[in-house]
Amino acid sequence: MGEVTNILVIDDERGIREGCRRILAAEGYTVDTAEDGKAGLEMVKTKPYDLLLVDLMMPVMGGLELMEQVRQFDPEVIMIVITGFATIETAVDAMKHGAYDYIPKPFTPDQLLAVVSRGLEKRHLRLQAKHLMEERDQKLLEVVNEKSKIHTIVNSMADGILVINREHQLVLWNPAAIRMLNLNEQLETGKDIGAIIPQHALVEIINKAFSPDSLRYTTISEEIELPQLESRALMVNVSVIRDESGQELGVVSTLRDITGLKEIDQIKSQFVSMVTHELRAPLSAIEGYLAAYLTGAAGNDPQMNRQMLERAKQRAHSLLELVNDLLQFSRLESKRVERKKELLNISGIITNTVELLKNQDEAKEIQFQVDVPESLPLIEADRSEMEQLFTNLISNAIKYNVKRGKVLVSAKPNKNFLDIKVTDTGIGIDEENLPYIFDEFYRVSGPKTRYTTGTGLGLTIVKKIVESHFGRIEVDSKVDKGTTFTIKFPIKKREYKGS
Amino acid sequence: MSKKTKILLVDNDVDFIDLNKAVLENNGFEVVVAYSGREGLDKVRFEEPDLIVLDLMMEKHDTGFGFAKALKADPIYKNIPILMLTAVASETGMDFSQELDGYWMKTDGYASKPLMPDELVKRINDLLAKTQKENE
Repeated sequence: MGEVTNILVIDDERGIREGCRRILAAEGYTVDTAEDGKAGLEMVKTKPYDLLLVDLMMPVMGGLELMEQVRQFDPEVIMIVITGFATIETAVDAMKHGAYDYIPKPFTPDQLLAVVSRGLEKRHLRLQAKHLMEERDQKLLEVVNEKSKIHTIVNSMADGILVINREHQLVLWNPAAIRMLNLNEQLETGKDIGAIIPQHALVEIINKAFSPDSLRYTTISEEIELPQLESRALMVNVSVIRDESGQELGVVSTLRDITGLKEIDQIKSQFVSMVTHELRAPLSAIEGYLAAYLTGAAGNDPQMNRQMLERAKQRAHSLLELVNDLLQFSRLESKRVERKKELLNISGIITNTVELLKNQDEAKEIQFQVDVPESLPLIEADRSEMEQLFTNLISNAIKYNVKRGKVLVSAKPNKNFLDIKVTDTGIGIDEENLPYIFDEFYRVSGPKTRYTTGTGLGLTIVKKIVESHFGRIEVDSKVDKGTTFTIKFPIKKREYKGS
Repeated sequence: MSKKTKILLVDNDVDFIDLNKAVLENNGFEVVVAYSGREGLDKVRFEEPDLIVLDLMMEKHDTGFGFAKALKADPIYKNIPILMLTAVASETGMDFSQELDGYWMKTDGYASKPLMPDELVKRINDLLAKTQKENE
């Protein structure tokens, strides 16, 4: 031991204690002494000793009992017995109690030093062994921890992982991969992947990674569809693992379920296709009218030609309306829409909207009846969306009304809801069409609506606004009698106040 | 003077009907119109047209295919040539050389919308000539 070596001498004979102390101190050891077993044990407990010299015959606590107790406390300490009657029996007995060596009294300084230095050598070896063992245990623990860490990470990943060695055998996988590919949970290692994975498309991508030209790319990314598994779509990334010399060791493949993304994608492109269809109809009508006018294909009657230009202008106008509605619609569609919701008495909004729209179609001579009290219970709503909502509903009530028809608008609290009704005495909607009226671009076509322009988005927008305000919309309609839209908004505050 | 050739236009697009009615009339045809497949089948019985111009997609539950199928199954009217028009070809990538739902062969000519007025006149005349040749 490079540093201080601590030796404790425990003997009831003062002469022995002092003699040993002097001899050992002269050699550079730090030496303490104790006069009986009990005192010696106390000292062992407070200071780490490398070596103990123990007299067997002591009052209060004998050497054997002391050694027994020290061994429990510090198994690496070297204990050497000093004995006056050195018989084989006592020596053996002492060894059994943990002594490393013994020295018979009387002894010479050289004899003592020889025994002590042998004991200290042993002590050194014991400590080294202990240290090595601890180190090994620590390393083992680290390895185990690291392994379980990686295992836990791999198993918790939402993406599927497959590791394939160069013999094309599946050597590692995680539960996500099993789930995505619907594989048997009791997978056998050592089988060719082609025999384990039924999805040929995936096996092909993995094989591609093994092909010689895979040196050119780092990762292969491909989408595959799994028609046999509820048409799920996976994004597959395959990378080759290579050693330092570039020799391939295998491939790692990650799988990501992109079914949801694909669905959104499809809905989007469906919508785009619907929009283009809706845009094309008025555009091709405009083009047709203008072409007929310019070529004289429909004849030279000036009145007829003027009519065609009028119609082209109308189409252009409806196209503009459509674009406006589309903008509104996409604003409502985007999740980040900024609603400035406040506690509102919507009485004023309703009556103002009626006033604004009253003269929309003077030729029709529509009668309006507004049954909306000035103070209504408050609802939490975005003012501009409320304006849009009632504009759409009331202008529909006018548009699809008959000449000299009526539009009735009412609002009143009903339990926890505010009920708003917009009723017209118009053409009504037949049962066949009723389920579709809130669909995007759906327009009821019939002889009575043939020349009514519209975008097919008005009611879609209405429904979206109602839903974003946690309300409900109901429709009740009879052909040739009229239609009633009822909107229910949850009441936020019963405190009535004027608008 | 011989009787005018009578064309039935079946389309839910009021602009298409109004415009082409004017153009066809200007080109010497008699034109009757229908805004749905059902109305179209009625018009066939009352008007007995010489040729039908039919829009492929009218409504969800009322398509040009349904109309064509019903007409071609009718022993009296199955020989009236149908010129099928569609605006969906470019959107759906539908290939008009293929049979579709078994209805494909039941119509006699196809054209993609949008179709300029003079082009429609040309297609109608072509189909009328073809039909006449076959019947001779």
